[in-house]
Amino acid sequence: MGSISLRTIAIATVAVLAAGFGLAFFYAPEDADQGFIQKIFYLHVPLAICALLGFIVAAIHAIRHLRTGDPIHDARSYVSIHLSVIFGVGVLLTGAIWARGSWGVWWEWREPTLVSFLIVFLLYATYYPLRYAIEDRDRQARYASVFAITAGAFVPLNFLAVRLAEPLIHPRTFSSAGGLPAEMMLAFLVCLVGMGLLWVTLVRFELGAKAASADLGRIRRALQGDGAPPAPAPSVAPVGVSATSAMSAGSAERSREGAPPGATRFRKKAS
Amino acid sequence: MPPLLLAIEDAEGYVGGAYLVFLLLLLVYVAIMAAKLQRIQRDLGELAELAEQPRRSEEVSGR
Amino acid sequence: MSAYRTLLAKDLRIELRTLRSLPAMVLFAVTTFVIFRFGLDRTELEGDLGAGVLVATLLFAAILAINRLFVAERDEGGFELIRLAPVDRNILFASKATALVIYLVALELVAVPIFALFFLDTAEGLPPLAAVLLLADIGLAATGTLISTIATMSSARDLLAPLILLPLLVPLVIATSGAAQHLLDAGGPDFDRFGTWIAVLGLYDSVFVLVGYATFDYLLED
Repeated sequence: MGSISLRTIAIATVAVLAAGFGLAFFYAPEDADQGFIQKIFYLHVPLAICALLGFIVAAIHAIRHLRTGDPIHDARSYVSIHLSVIFGVGVLLTGAIWARGSWGVWWEWREPTLVSFLIVFLLYATYYPLRYAIEDRDRQARYASVFAITAGAFVPLNFLAVRLAEPLIHPRTFSSAGGLPAEMMLAFLVCLVGMGLLWVTLVRFELGAKAASADLGRIRRALQGDGAPPAPAPSVAPVGVSATSAMSAGSAERSREGAPPGATRFRKKAS
Repeated sequence: MPPLLLAIEDAEGYVGGAYLVFLLLLLVYVAIMAAKLQRIQRDLGELAELAEQPRRSEEVSGR
Repeated sequence: MSAYRTLLAKDLRIELRTLRSLPAMVLFAVTTFVIFRFGLDRTELEGDLGAGVLVATLLFAAILAINRLFVAERDEGGFELIRLAPVDRNILFASKATALVIYLVALELVAVPIFALFFLDTAEGLPPLAAVLLLADIGLAATGTLISTIATMSSARDLLAPLILLPLLVPLVIATSGAAQHLLDAGGPDFDRFGTWIAVLGLYDSVFVLVGYATFDYLLED
């Protein structure tokens, strides 16, 4: 998995997303019910699906972290959550715009996707205060992993409960109820794949940056250890210290194997 | 059909707005990462200096 | 098994002797009912409004207990003891969660009749409500114990626990209120979608008891 370079994936992302959006606007027909505003569907729903899958991926990385103790999994978990939270912001914003355009209101409690996402976002937003509140980096990583697993288990339950809270199939939903016509489905799937690739690209990008920071720290300490007393470990946000300096151990082995540091191992999810 | 035209314009505005928000989020992320990258480059430069110094002083004193 | 019983008995004995959490929870609940009476300007509650007031109040009272769940362990080295003892550390999760369920049930035994006294016309809906609340208590205890452990070891513990816990409990609140609102209807209990909500509560409880039990050990590691 780490053999596909970041550059390749980035190019693939651009290509697929461009194709997806192109299909959405020029190939897929306009929705009979909602009109042109439905085009937001091709942006909002793939963002949502990728964010949610990202949270699940983070939970899987967290499980591996707890089982192996290898900090590289903690870094992957952290970055996965980070990107998914950012995607989540996108979901909420595009969702609000869609609601405004469709029904004239900026927020709609009867739209299960939006509401579920709000709750999930509120939960994962506490990930950061949690990490910052624990000094010891090993403990911080472990606790963050437990949180990621708990929150990952929570996501499907949350969606189930919120959806059940709206018993009637209310007309005010974002779901293109009933089957999608084939052209729409194609455009949607391509956009979904594109968003997934975007997520992967950004995760690997950020992991790479973290690895570089970590390596820098190591070099600095090694150089300064030659004569001057070793500089104190950078007391940046504890997250930086734990994830990056711990990642350096992992990345050293990895670079010897020729794979890029911070290679994120997970399968492209099926839609 | 002015009202229908206005409706279409409105919808386009919202759709455009949504995609614009997506683009802006992406750009903000890229900007933040760019700032990080700059810091890494600067630190790397400092460390390169640091690494070259002892060698220079060795060359001077080792003769 | 006997370690579980010992730990549970210890917690209950301490609570009975010091009365650290229970009276505060009950008092908080009753006072909150009074606040709602004036805040909503109503002397009768039923249906979804009644369910909401009851569930929200019980939830916040539970958080009081959750915040103090591990105080003794933290201050008196209880965590070190369990690490050294030759028992499965998850036992502590089980015993603490059970203790929390017991506190919550005790709270409800007092608070719910008072709620009925203050706001309800008929007490017919109370027995099935008790079953719903028991299921909710289990879920509340599982997540509460887990998050309380996480928060205890951090520096912002009183703030962090409710912050993480409240979003996590939303499905529980949805299901509990969903069932309760029909049970508290003015004309007598209605079992509309009762099975659905019980199923959701059961699912929630199973998932979080499992997750809590499976991950607790990693929280206790030094």
